[in-house]
Amino acid sequence: MFELLFKYPPAAFSKGHLVWLSPWPLSWLAPALIAAALLLGWRLWRKPAPHILAGPRRRLALWALQAGFVALLLLMLWQPALSVATLKPQQNIIAVLLDDSRSMTVEEDGVKRVEQARRLLNDGLLDELRARFQVRLYAFGHATARIERPEQVAGSAQATHIGEALRTVLAEASAAPIGAVVLLSDGGDTRGGVPHGVVEELRARRLPVHAIGFGRERYQRDVELAGVEAPARVPPGSRVAALVRLRQAGYTRSRVRLAVEEDGKTLNAREVTLSGPEQIETVLFNSGTPGPHRLRFTAQPLEGEENPRNNAATRLLRVEEVTPRILYIEGEPRWEFKFIRRAVEEDPGLQLTTLLRTTENKLYRQGVADAKELEQGFPAQPEELFGFRGLIIGSVEANYFTPAQQQLIHDFADRRGGGVLFLGGRRALAETGWNRPPLVDMLPVLLPQRTGTFRRDRARVALTQVGRESLITRLVEPPEANVERWRNLPELADYQEVGEPKPAALVLATLETPQGRTLPLLVTQNYGRGRVAVFATGGSWRWQMLQPLSDMTHETFWQQLLRWLVSGATGEVSGSTPAPVLEDESRVLLRAEVRDKAFRPVADARVEARILGPAGLAENVELRPVADQPGVYEAEWSAPEAGGYSAEIQARWGEQELGRDLILFRREDGVAEDFRMLQNRELLQALASATGGRYYRLQEARRLAEEITYSEAGISVRELRDLWDMPILLLLAFGLRSAEWLLRRKWGAV
Amino acid sequence: MRLPIVLGALALGFSLLAWQGRYWGFRGEVDNDDAPFPPDGNEKTEFVFARLRYPSVRFAWGFRGNWATDYWKADRQFVQGVRRLTRIHVRSAEHVVDLDSDEIYDWPWIYAVEVGHWDLTDAQCKRLRDYLLRGGFLMVDDFHGTWEWENFMASLSRIFPDRPVVDIDSKDPIFHVLYDLDERFQVPGIQYWYSGRIYEKDGIEPRWRAVYDDKGRIMVAICHNMDLGDAWEWADHPRYPEHYASLAYRIGINYIIYAMTH
Repeated sequence: MFELLFKYPPAAFSKGHLVWLSPWPLSWLAPALIAAALLLGWRLWRKPAPHILAGPRRRLALWALQAGFVALLLLMLWQPALSVATLKPQQNIIAVLLDDSRSMTVEEDGVKRVEQARRLLNDGLLDELRARFQVRLYAFGHATARIERPEQVAGSAQATHIGEALRTVLAEASAAPIGAVVLLSDGGDTRGGVPHGVVEELRARRLPVHAIGFGRERYQRDVELAGVEAPARVPPGSRVAALVRLRQAGYTRSRVRLAVEEDGKTLNAREVTLSGPEQIETVLFNSGTPGPHRLRFTAQPLEGEENPRNNAATRLLRVEEVTPRILYIEGEPRWEFKFIRRAVEEDPGLQLTTLLRTTENKLYRQGVADAKELEQGFPAQPEELFGFRGLIIGSVEANYFTPAQQQLIHDFADRRGGGVLFLGGRRALAETGWNRPPLVDMLPVLLPQRTGTFRRDRARVALTQVGRESLITRLVEPPEANVERWRNLPELADYQEVGEPKPAALVLATLETPQGRTLPLLVTQNYGRGRVAVFATGGSWRWQMLQPLSDMTHETFWQQLLRWLVSGATGEVSGSTPAPVLEDESRVLLRAEVRDKAFRPVADARVEARILGPAGLAENVELRPVADQPGVYEAEWSAPEAGGYSAEIQARWGEQELGRDLILFRREDGVAEDFRMLQNRELLQALASATGGRYYRLQEARRLAEEITYSEAGISVRELRDLWDMPILLLLAFGLRSAEWLLRRKWGAV
Repeated sequence: MRLPIVLGALALGFSLLAWQGRYWGFRGEVDNDDAPFPPDGNEKTEFVFARLRYPSVRFAWGFRGNWATDYWKADRQFVQGVRRLTRIHVRSAEHVVDLDSDEIYDWPWIYAVEVGHWDLTDAQCKRLRDYLLRGGFLMVDDFHGTWEWENFMASLSRIFPDRPVVDIDSKDPIFHVLYDLDERFQVPGIQYWYSGRIYEKDGIEPRWRAVYDDKGRIMVAICHNMDLGDAWEWADHPRYPEHYASLAYRIGINYIIYAMTH
C-alpha cells in the first residue's frame, strides 16, 4: 500500500534525501507560495460575494482549499525528487548469515526455527536475492563458516556469537564488495550482545545489517534463573549474599524453591513467591573452608515449565586463606570499643587490631602481630597502615593525627582500596574538626559546621529501603522479619548528627531522636578504590547488653559491617577475570593489578600466570601492560576443554617478588543455549537500526529482496527518483478540488 | 500494756545499733551525709560508678545493709581519680543499681562491697549470670577471712556452678592494661588506724581472684582480704598511708579499663 501511494518502498525514503530538480531557485518557492495565497485571498474578499458565501468562516474554508491546491501545484512544479544510493545489480555481494545454534531447533507451531529459516530462503528469498546480487551463505554459532546450501545448517552449535559472525563478514568486506548483510537468527547471543566495536565498524563501512527474527518473544509458562551476582572471593568464614534474578511467565503467585548447593549438598534454600515478570532475591549462605568452591544456584522447576533447563547457574567462589586485618583506633575507653572487639572475636574471618588512648600519653594495643607493631602509635608510613584492609576511627580528635597521617587515612580508601569506618562519639566527626580537608572529602555525609552534635540520649533505629536490600543490615530472614527486627532493637545509648548524606551515599539505617527527628545512622559510599561508612553512634553496645544471651544481633551486625568494610580491599597483586564461568566459551581474559607496598601502580613489572587445568594441563602465560592504565596487565587465553582452571598470577620487579594472587575460572559447555531460547528481538532491532538496516518479522521478510537494494556499501550508484508524480500527490490535488466543489454544492452555490 | 514496752525497747535497740553504726557499720555514710551533691552529678557520661545493692545476711534492705559500706564518699572520691588519670568520660556521682530489674544491663561495670555478707536470691543469681555472660563486669571488694569467703561463695556458686574461681596471674592483662601492677600488697581498711593491723579477721593474705568466661576474659574480679573501698574513701585523710591509697586507685582504674577493653 505504501509503495502504491508513494511510488517507492519505505527504505528508499529512509535511505535517501530530498532534492529539487526545477531550474528555478528553491528560495523562490516560499515567496511564490505566499504570493499565491495572498492573491487568492484578495480575490475572494475583493468582489462582493453572494450572500451564501458572506460568512467569514465559509470564505476562509474556500481560501484554505484553493491555497492548498495552488501550493501543491507549485511544489510539483519545483520537481521534488529522491536522491538515494542503490546497489549496482550483479556487482555486489549479499552476505546471508544463518544461525546454526541449538536454540534454532526449538519448534514454533510444530516447525523448528532452523527449518523456518531454510524454507524462507529456499522458497524464493534466495532466488530473488540471487537475481540481483551474488549471495554468500554463512552458518554461525561458535564459529562462522561459508556454506553452499541452507540445508547444511542443522542447529547444532552450542553457542551463538553474532559479533564473531559479523567480524567475519567485515573481514571479507575489505576485499569484496559486500553490499548488505542478512542475518537470520533468534538473537540469542550467548555472549550477551554484539560488541560495540563491531557495530561501529559496520557503521563506518555503511554496511547495513537486515535482521530476520525467528521464534517467539516470551514463554507462556516458565521460570528462568536469569542471573546470579555473587562475590568472586570472600574472607574465610564469611556469610555470603548472592543476588538471584528470576524471570517468570505464567507462574505469578506461585512459590519456587531457591537453593545454593555445592557437590550436591544444599548450603541454603528458601522459598520465594513469584510476584512479577522479573524479581531479584537474596540467597545467603556460609562460605565454607578456604579454597575454591563451585556453587550451583537452582530454582526448582515447577510443573508445566516449557524450558526447565534454564533453572540453574554455576558460580565460582574463592574463600581466601588470608584473614583480613582491621585497625581500630579509639580516642577514649568506651563500651562500644569493648563490645565491637567481642563481636569480632566471634568471627574467625576477621582480625581486629586496636589502639586505645587510655590516658593523654598512653596507648593500649590489642591484637598486634608482635611487640613492635604500632609501638609508635598510629602509622605514619603507608607501608605500615596499608597492611590493614579496614580502618575504624572512633571518638578521636582530628588533630590527634598529623597532616601526613590525615592524608594517609584519605589514601587508605582512595589509593589502597581499603574500607574506613567512622564512629560517632563526643570527640568524633563534627565535634573535633573532621569537617575539614582532606578527610571531609572522603566522608559520605556533609558534616555540620558546628559542635554539639553528639548527645547521650537514647534513640530508636529503623532500616531504610536501601538497608532492607543490604547484606550489612540483614540480621534475620526473611527481609520482612528483618525490618521488624530492626524496629524492635533496643535503643542506642547515644547518637550523633552527621549531616546530610552526599549524593552518591547510601543511607542504610536511620535513628529517631527523643524529639522525633530522623537522622542518618549508617551511611556508606564508595570512595576512590575503597569505601567509607559512618555509623553515627557509640551506643550500639546496648544491642548486646539489653538482649537475651542467645541473641546474636550485635555480633551479626558488626561482623557483617566489618566484612563489607574489607571486602573490596585486595593485596598488592590482585587478579581477576570478567567472567569466571565460561558458558560455551573458551576465551578468558586474565587481568592483574600490580602495586607496591604503598599501593602505587607498578608499570614495569613482569607478570606471569601459571595456569593449571583439566587432564594435567599446565601452561605459563605472560600478562602485558594495558595502555593508559598504569599497573594493569592483561592476557587473553583459550581454555581448550570444559573443566575447572586456576591461574596463579605472580608479579616481579627485577628480582623482587611483588606478590601473588589466584584466579579461578571454569569452562562449561552445553549450557549457554539453555538460557537463550526466546527471540531476542531487542538485540536484532538495535543491531539493524544502528547499522542502517531493518528488522523483519518472518511474515514480512520477503520484502527484504527489494528493500535491500538501498545501501551505500559495496558498489553503489546514486540515483534520482522523481517524486512529483507520486500517486499520493495527484490524489491530494483531486481531493482538494473535490472538497471545494462539495462545499459549494452544500451551500447551494453550484 | 506490753506492746508499747516492746516497741519502746525495739526503738531503743535500733537507735543504739544506728549509733554504733556511726563508727562500725556506717562510718562513710554518716561522714558523707552533709556533703553537697556534685553539681555535675547527673551528667550523662560514658562511664558511671554503678554500686550494686544486694540483700545481705545481717541487715534488711531498709537498714541499707553491707552494700552501702563506704557509700558514697568512696565512689565519688575514686571517680575523681579516674577522671584525672584517664580519658574516660566519668560521672562525678555514683549510681545504685540492684538485681531486681533489667536496669542492671545499662551499667556494664558494677562494684559490690562487703560481699562476704551478700545473700542473693535465685532470680538475682540468674540475672547476674546473664549480665556477666552478656559482657557485664563485676568487681567485688572489702571482705575478709574464711567465713566471709564461704558466704561469698555460697551465692557465687549459684551464679556460676560450673566455673572455678582462680587466682589471677600477674601476667594477666588486668594488671597491665594501664598500670603495671606486678608488685601488689595488701590494702587495709580504716581499722588500720586503731588496730595497727593491715588484715581483718583471718584474712592475712590478700588474694586477687577471678571468674573467667569461655574466651579467657575476666567477668568477676574478686579483691579478697583487702579494702580498696576504704582506701578510696580515706585517700584524702592525712592518717591514711598514701601508698595504700595509690595502689587502690591503680587497681580500680585498671579494672575499669580492663572491663572496657575485654
